[in-house]
Amino acid sequence: MIIEALLYDGKSSKEHKVEIEFTANRRVVILSHDIDVSLDEVEIESRLGNTPRVIEFDNGIRCKSKENDKIDKVLKKFGLSKSKAYKIESSLGLTIGSVLVTIGFIWFMLTTGSTYTANALASILPKSTLDKVSDITMEQLEDNYLHPSKLSDRQKRIIQGHFDRLTKGETNYKLHFRSSPQIGPNAFALPSGDVVLTDQLVALSQDDDFRDILGVLAHEKGHVVRKHSLRIAIKTGISGAIIGYITGDVSVLASTIPTVLINSSYSREFEHEADEYAVKELKMMNVSTEYIAKLFEMLDKKYGKDGNSSSDIMGMFASHPLTSERIDYFKSYIK
Amino acid sequence: MDKEFKHFEFHGNAKEYFRIWIVNIALTILTFGIYSAWAKVRTNRYMYANTYLNGSNFEYNADPVRILIGRIIVFTFYILFIIFGQHLMMFEVAAGIAILAFLAMPWLIRQAVSFKLRNTSYRHVPFRYVGRTRDFYAFFLTHGLLNIFTLFLAFPFSYVRFKELVLRNSRYGQGEFDFKGKVQSVYEIYFSIIGWMMLVAIALGVVMALLSGIALESSGVGLESIASSGMLGDENANAEDVAPMVTGLVSILMIFIYLPLIFGQKGLSDAYFSNYVRNHTSLETAPFRGDINIFKLAWISISNVFAIIFSLGLLYPWSQIRYLKYKLEHTSFSCQDYEQFESFGYEQGTTVGEEMMDFFDIDIGL
Repeated sequence: MIIEALLYDGKSSKEHKVEIEFTANRRVVILSHDIDVSLDEVEIESRLGNTPRVIEFDNGIRCKSKENDKIDKVLKKFGLSKSKAYKIESSLGLTIGSVLVTIGFIWFMLTTGSTYTANALASILPKSTLDKVSDITMEQLEDNYLHPSKLSDRQKRIIQGHFDRLTKGETNYKLHFRSSPQIGPNAFALPSGDVVLTDQLVALSQDDDFRDILGVLAHEKGHVVRKHSLRIAIKTGISGAIIGYITGDVSVLASTIPTVLINSSYSREFEHEADEYAVKELKMMNVSTEYIAKLFEMLDKKYGKDGNSSSDIMGMFASHPLTSERIDYFKSYIK
Repeated sequence: MDKEFKHFEFHGNAKEYFRIWIVNIALTILTFGIYSAWAKVRTNRYMYANTYLNGSNFEYNADPVRILIGRIIVFTFYILFIIFGQHLMMFEVAAGIAILAFLAMPWLIRQAVSFKLRNTSYRHVPFRYVGRTRDFYAFFLTHGLLNIFTLFLAFPFSYVRFKELVLRNSRYGQGEFDFKGKVQSVYEIYFSIIGWMMLVAIALGVVMALLSGIALESSGVGLESIASSGMLGDENANAEDVAPMVTGLVSILMIFIYLPLIFGQKGLSDAYFSNYVRNHTSLETAPFRGDINIFKLAWISISNVFAIIFSLGLLYPWSQIRYLKYKLEHTSFSCQDYEQFESFGYEQGTTVGEEMMDFFDIDIGL
C-alpha cells in the first residue's frame, strides 16, 4: 500500500513530498530517499483525531501523513494494534462511558465519597492534629466572641450531667459554657469534640430539666461523629479544584462563588444528618423529642417571625433547613 | 523584498477535542492521576499538530514519563508543605520548604521556558533556549527589589526586560529570535486597560445605583430571616456564617457582575499584550505580527465562561479551541524561506520547572 507523506530529514527544515510504500513482506520503502527498512524499525505514533500521523525512522527522519485511515488499515493488516487511547476516543460508547465516569466521580466525591475520604483522612491524621486545629480555632473564638458563662451552678450541673450521659465512655468530648451576646443563642462543635454552649441558648430553654438542651448537645455530637467539618473541607477543596480546572483559573473570586453556593446546601444536608443523630440518641436515652421541638418553636417565635414564609431564595440558600421543617421533623418522633 | 505576511491557521475542532478531553479526564480518574502526564501530552500534541504555518504543522515532543516524574516531585513537595504547615503545625519545616522553593524559583522558571521550547518543533526542527540560569537569578534579584521599592510602578519595565530575556535567547534551529519592545508602550497598555475598566466600573455603578433602590424596599424582610437562619450548629460560629441568605444573593450577583469583569479584563489584557509581543518579535529578519481585536477577544473570554458554567463544564473543550483559534488566526509571520533552518537536535532535561508552573497555574507567557 502506498501512502503520501511529507518527509523531514531532521537536519534542516526542508520539506520533501514522498510516497511511503508498505510492502507485503513488512518492509517500509521510500524510493526517493533510499529507505528500505523493516516495519518493526519504524515507530508510528498513536493516532490523535485527524492530525497528521508522525512516522519516525531510526536515523532521525520523520514523515508526516494525513492519510490516517490508510495507515490504520496497514497497521491492522500487519497485526499491529491501534493505540488504546485512540480506540477509546473514536468509540462513541466509550466516549459516553468517559462522560459517565467523570460525572459519576464528581458526584461521588461530592456526596458519599467525601464521607469515606474524611474517615480515611481522619484515621491517617494523628489525633493531636485535629486537636491542635481545634485549639487554635477555640482560642480565636475565645478572644473575639466568647465570655465567661453566667449560668448558675445548678444549671451547669444538670446540663453537664446530660452531656456526660451523652458521651459516656468517650473521653475526647468536652463541654464549654460560655456567654456570647454577639453569637446569640447557639451551640457549636469543633472536630476535636469540644462543644460550646451559649448562655443565650440556655436562657431560651422551656424545660426545668434542660432536656431540650440535651437534644441540642446530641445534635452537636452528631456533627463530630459524622466528621462534618472535615467533609466540608474536602468538598470545598474538590469543588474548588473542579471549578479551577474548568475555568483554567485559580482566581479566588471565580472559585469561591460556587463554593459558597455548594457549601450552603451541604450544611443543610449536614444539619439534617445531625438532627437524625440527635433523634437516635434521644430515643436511646428515653427522652422525648418534644423538648427540642419546643426550643426550636421558641427560637422561631423570637427570632424568625417569617420562618414560614419560605421564599425560594430562602429555601435554597439558608445554611440550615427551615426552622419549621426541623420542628416538624422533631415532632414526627413524639409518641 | 516583499513582506508577505502569512497567518497561522488552526484546524482543531471542538467535537474531536471533546473526545480527547473527556477520555483524558476519565482515564486520569481511573488511574488515580497517573494518566494525567499522558493526558497533557495528548492535549498538547493535538493543539500543536493542528497549528499550521505556511502549510506545515507544529509538533509537541515531550515524553509523558518525564512529565510524570516532574509531577510527582512537585506534588510531593506540595503535600509535605501542607502536612507540615497545616496539620502538624511544624511551621519551621514548612517555612524551610517554602524558602527552598523560593530560592529555586528563578532556576525553575528557566527550566520551564526551556522545556516548552525544546519540546516544540516545526518541520522536525526543534526550538531551543540558550538563556543562562545566572541571568534568571540576576533578573529576579534586581527586578524583585526594584518593584518592591517602587511599589510595582516599574513593572512594565521589568515586563519588557523579561520578554527580552526569554525571546532573545530563544532559537529555532540556528535562527535567533529578537524582541525590541518599548517600555513606554507597556505603560500605555496598562493605562488603556485601566481606562476601559474604569469606564465599565462607572457604567456598573449607575446600574447598581438604580438596582439598590429596588433592593432597599425588600431589605426589611431580609434582615429578619437572616436572624432566624443562623441558629444552632454552626461548626465555627464566625460572624459571616450568620448571613447565608445574603451570601447566596451576593454569589448570584457576583456571577453576573464579577465574572464578566474578571474574564473581560483577562481577554482584553491578553489581546493587548499578545499583539504587543508579536509586533515586536522577529526570527532573524522575519517579523511576526498580531492583529487581535481587543474587544473580540474580551467577548470570547466572557462568553466562554458563561458557556462553561451553563453547560456544567461540557463546553470547556469548545471554549478552549475557540479562544486559541481566534488568537492564532490573528497572528502572522513573514518569512522568505521556510527551508533555511538547521536542526541542533533534540535534547532532554528536567521537567520539574514546567510541572511546577503547571501545578500552580503560573503563566510565564511564552
